[in-house]
This record gives sequence, structure tokens and C-alpha cells, in this order.
Amino acid sequence: MLLLLVVFFSSEHVYSQTCCSGGVPLSNNIGLPILEKGIMQVGVSYDYNNLNTLKERGDKLNDRNRLRITHAVLVNLGYSITNNLSIEALLTWVNQQRRILTNNALSQSSGIGDAIFLARYKLLDKNNWNFSVGGGLKLPMGATDKKNDLGIVLNADLQPGSNALDVVFLTSVSKQFNFRKSLTFSSRLTYRETGVNNEYQKINKYKFGNETQFFVSVADQFLVFNQIFNSSLTFKYRHVLHDEINKGKISNTGGQWFFLRPSLSLEITENVRFSASLELPLYSKIEGVQLTPTYRFNVGASVQLFKSNRIQTLLSK
Amino acid sequence: MKAKILFFTSLVLVFLSCSSDNNLITDGDDGIDSSQVTNKWTIPIDEVFDGGPGKDGIPSIDSPVFLDADNVMVETYMSDDDLVIGIVKGDVVKAYPIRVLDWHEVVNDDVFGDKITISYCPLTGTAFGWESVVGDEFTEFGVSGLLYNTNLILYDRESGSYWSQLKLECVNGEFIGSIPKVVNIIETTWGLWKEMFPKTKILSDEQGFGRNYAEYPYGGYREDNSFLFFPVSKTDNAIPKKNRVHAIIQGRSAKVFEFRSFGEGKAIKSKFLSDTILIIGNQKMINSYVLEGQHSNLIFEYDFSTPEHYFKDNEGNKWNVLGVAVEGPREGEELKPTNSLMSYWFAIPAFFSNIQIFQN
Repeated sequence: MLLLLVVFFSSEHVYSQTCCSGGVPLSNNIGLPILEKGIMQVGVSYDYNNLNTLKERGDKLNDRNRLRITHAVLVNLGYSITNNLSIEALLTWVNQQRRILTNNALSQSSGIGDAIFLARYKLLDKNNWNFSVGGGLKLPMGATDKKNDLGIVLNADLQPGSNALDVVFLTSVSKQFNFRKSLTFSSRLTYRETGVNNEYQKINKYKFGNETQFFVSVADQFLVFNQIFNSSLTFKYRHVLHDEINKGKISNTGGQWFFLRPSLSLEITENVRFSASLELPLYSKIEGVQLTPTYRFNVGASVQLFKSNRIQTLLSK
Repeated sequence: MKAKILFFTSLVLVFLSCSSDNNLITDGDDGIDSSQVTNKWTIPIDEVFDGGPGKDGIPSIDSPVFLDADNVMVETYMSDDDLVIGIVKGDVVKAYPIRVLDWHEVVNDDVFGDKITISYCPLTGTAFGWESVVGDEFTEFGVSGLLYNTNLILYDRESGSYWSQLKLECVNGEFIGSIPKVVNIIETTWGLWKEMFPKTKILSDEQGFGRNYAEYPYGGYREDNSFLFFPVSKTDNAIPKKNRVHAIIQGRSAKVFEFRSFGEGKAIKSKFLSDTILIIGNQKMINSYVLEGQHSNLIFEYDFSTPEHYFKDNEGNKWNVLGVAVEGPREGEELKPTNSLMSYWFAIPAFFSNIQIFQN
């Protein structure tokens, strides 16, 4: 029923997304934990992505004239249908900006971005090991016909949407330790098989490159002034294939990126958590010449709803 | 549980319905006086596309650095088969390598005291030189980041008006309808150019942008006849799309010559509209001239015997590549160059409607 409602609703909006490094951070922000049956998670975050580093393959060019900024508001919703099965949605609103610093020329678009709907299943939860798999769809809910002030349609990379239906796969594994329950090692792999926008420039077919992301994290808790802080350090690898027009390879798209992402979260109450993270590029090897991420940060809050008294009692012990 | 799923679904719907999805976009300061930019275009605006990098995202060269042809550094980035755009004015001879223009598209230069803008569109393979003037004011031109029929649209930094390179017209802005004053350029290989003009200067590969000019920025675009980045309004499969042709143009009419017509070297006399024209070419260069008065009665022959002699005629005159008689009874006389360009074939039917393809 949920899927039917979503599909029905999405038909009113049509279209969505953005390219490689500058787009809406979709794959970055999926994979909520699968909690006890009946618990709902709601998260809202703001994501800022600054791209001001022009690179050719692995080399930085002496040209900082181009600035690409993506502001995104992300809403994560998750619901655990059983102790092992959850559904998840990632909804986005995005403002994409392209600025040339020498002449201050600005082009931008705003609106709903693409959304991801996932189902996840916990295959293993034993001996401090946790393993889950999931899959879903990225629905084209954002516009692809945004125009600049001259009335000219902005290019695909600056559009909030992609007008393409993507398939998303996700798997994650984590391990906790008896000697320190709060210490967690985890890893996550996401893969997005991108669909084709058959109406690009009215007559062309545009396909963003397939995207693979791999995360390895170590997380722990500590107590400061009677407040529980969760900290983590994540190593992220991102690989994107080149984009295509009519199956022809578009130069200067695709590549590989390595990032380091420290993050910190604060549990205000048992159910409410504030979090912040910073993502810094370590190394990249891109195709041709591209503007690549300079830095990104994300701040947000999440809340768990419908926790039963029994669970709360257990957690409080 | 149904109630909770309903709540979950409602949250999704509330978010979507509350988010604005306006189709019109705010666009901020773009660095020019917005009162000078109008909504009026001389070309269909829905055939103008945003190329991606933005206005000046592809940086023009505004303080070009040149080297002498015999400078040892030139060999590090140029080979004899590399294409160049050449210009000769007074005592000044300059070459602009396509491999540099691929990355910058526009060079604002001073040639023998005249401010000249050289533009090159890597997607249509077309180059033009025109005076850097709008109205009565000198100006620089830049890369607008917009394309029409997948061809470069420049903008002038004086008024912010937009200029279609291949249409040779201001298509939007204060100077809408204006036509740039074109200067004669020659496209050929570096080897041939420096042979003809050993004193030439050449645009250096050190322009301060750190680009690797050894790399072609558009992958397999030049070779792939099925691949265009942007739509064109009209196509014609008479010639493979990416074949380079010499087109003589006037208004919406064009006459096209292919390299294969010239073999190792040939002179062709032909008609274009009301003009008699002479086309001289070999495997590396095609040039064309308007024959006026007594020149129309001469019989020409390809004769690239020395760097100074490109062709000869039945009166014993020898002519150089600029169409100047350098030997013989007509020494000092000049042939007028045609309005012409080198181009990938596909761009010609996109911009011109009355097209003749020369057949041997």
C-alpha cells in the first residue's frame, strides 16, 4: 500500500537528481539502523557540499574560478515492521548553485530532489555480529526543466532531478565487542544502477554514471559532563562511471574519490540525537577535468518514535 | 501497526506536498547589467543549451603569451601535424594551436595594433577571427557557456550581449542583430604554417591556467560520427558528421568542399551564388578566393613549390597563401578571400539551408 501511495504521488511531480560529485547526497544518507519492531525513526539534516577544486585526473589545477555548491535538506524516515525487517525513505529538497568567481555569474535551481525508498532485512544478529541487506528504488521526483534567468534550461548536473528511475542495493555489516559494548566496527556498501532520462534536451537520452560507495567506520561512545557523545571516523570510497548521452561516453565525468569523515553525535534524550559530520577529500582520480569536492558538512537531528515502554526499560538498564 | 505505517506514509506525503517545486528559478548576479539583457533572441531560445561550465567557466585567454617558432619549447607541445589557426597582419604573423584553443575557445589578442578576438568551438570545429569591438567600444569576448546548434556562443564583456559564433551575429542583448567584423584567418597544420611563415609566433602552452594541452578534453568526440553532446536543428548524412570541410558562406547559403577533392594539391574554379571563386587545397589546407575582374579569366594551378608560392596562373604569376601575387606581371595584386570557414560537416546544415556540396 505504501509503495502504491508513493508511486501514485510521485506521478504528480515527475523527474529529478544531479551528477557525480555535485549532486544530492542520496547514497551517503541511506541505511538507518534496523531497530526493534514498531520503532519509527525520523531524521532531518542539512547537507552542504562545496566543490571548488578543479582537477585533471589526480592533479589539482591552479584554477579556483569555479564554485559549485549544493545545499540539501534531507528527511530520513524509517520504520521497523519486524525486528528484522524495516522500510526506509530518504526525501530531499535541494538548492544547486554554480558560481564563476571572476564575474560572479550565478546559476542555480531549487526544488524537490530525487527520493529513495528502501526495504532492509537483517540476516544475522548474533554474537555481536550484525549483517543486513536491502534494496529499493530511487524515484525521479525532482524537476529536470529548471531554467536560468535567460530562460535557458540548465544542464543535467544543475537540475534537482534526473528523470530516471534507479535501482539501489545496500548491504551492511557491523561488529561489537564484549570488552567494550559501545565500540563498533561497521562497513556499508551501496550500489546504484542508474536509469536513463529519455527526455533529456527533449530528444536525447541521458544516463548518470552507476555509483558504488563503500564505507568503513569505527564508532564509540564517551561521556562528557554527563552527556553521551557518539563519535565515529569513516573512510569512504566512491566510484562513479562516466555519464552517457545516447550511450556515448561523456568526457570529464566519473572517477574515484576517497574521503575521511569524522562525525559526532549527542544524545539529548534516549530518543533524540543531534549529529554533525565533516567530509574531507583524501585523494581522487577522476576522468578528464572536473570540479571535485573541497569539503562537505552535515548537521541534523533524529528522533525515535513509538518506542514501547518495555524497550525503553530495557535500554535504560 | 497499520496506524504506524499510515503515519509513516503521511510524513512522506506531508514533506512532498509542503516542498515548493517552482519551475522558474531565481538567478542571481551574473556580473552584467541585467537591464541590457533582454528576452529577445534572434535564434530559438529552446535550441540554446547550457553547456555546463557556466559563463567564463571555460576561461578565455586575455593576456596571450607567444613564443617564436624556433623556440625549443615549442617542440615540447606541438607536432607538425597539429592544427593551428593562423593570422597575418602587417608584419605580424601568429599561430593559435587548436590544442590550446580546445581548452579556452577564445583568445583576446592584439595583432599589429588591432584588437582581435580569435574564437574556436571544439564541438563544431569552427574558428573565426573578428575585431574586438561592440558599437564603438573595444571589448573582450568570453565564453558564455551557452551553445546553439552545439556551437559556441560568446559574450562581450562591454554589454553582456551574446554572439553566436557560426551565425556571426549578436543574438541577444544590447547589440542584438549586430554582425562582427570578420578578419581573415587560415587553418592548417603547424608544419605547413611555419614552413610558409618561419617568422611566425605561436601561442605558448604556458598561459597560467595549468591545463594539460597534450590532452584533448572531449574524449572520442572528434572521431565518433554518431555522437553529439547537444541537439542540432537539422542534420544531413551526405558526409560523415565529423569530416572537416571547407565551407564558403554567404547569408544562409554555403558551398562545401571536402579534402578528398584536392588530393595532393589542386586548384578548382567554381561558382558560388553570383561569384566566381578559386579554391586551392591539399591534404592539409584549403583556401578560397573571390575572382573579380580580369582575375576571373586566369587559369590557376596548384604549385606549392616553395613556402612563398602556393599556386600559379597561366600568365606566369605566382601567388602565396594570402592570395597575393609575389612574382610575375601581376606582382602585388591581391585576391580577395571568401567568407569561409573550416568546420565539422554536421554544423553546416545546422546553420545553413541552401547548401551545395562540390562534386569532382
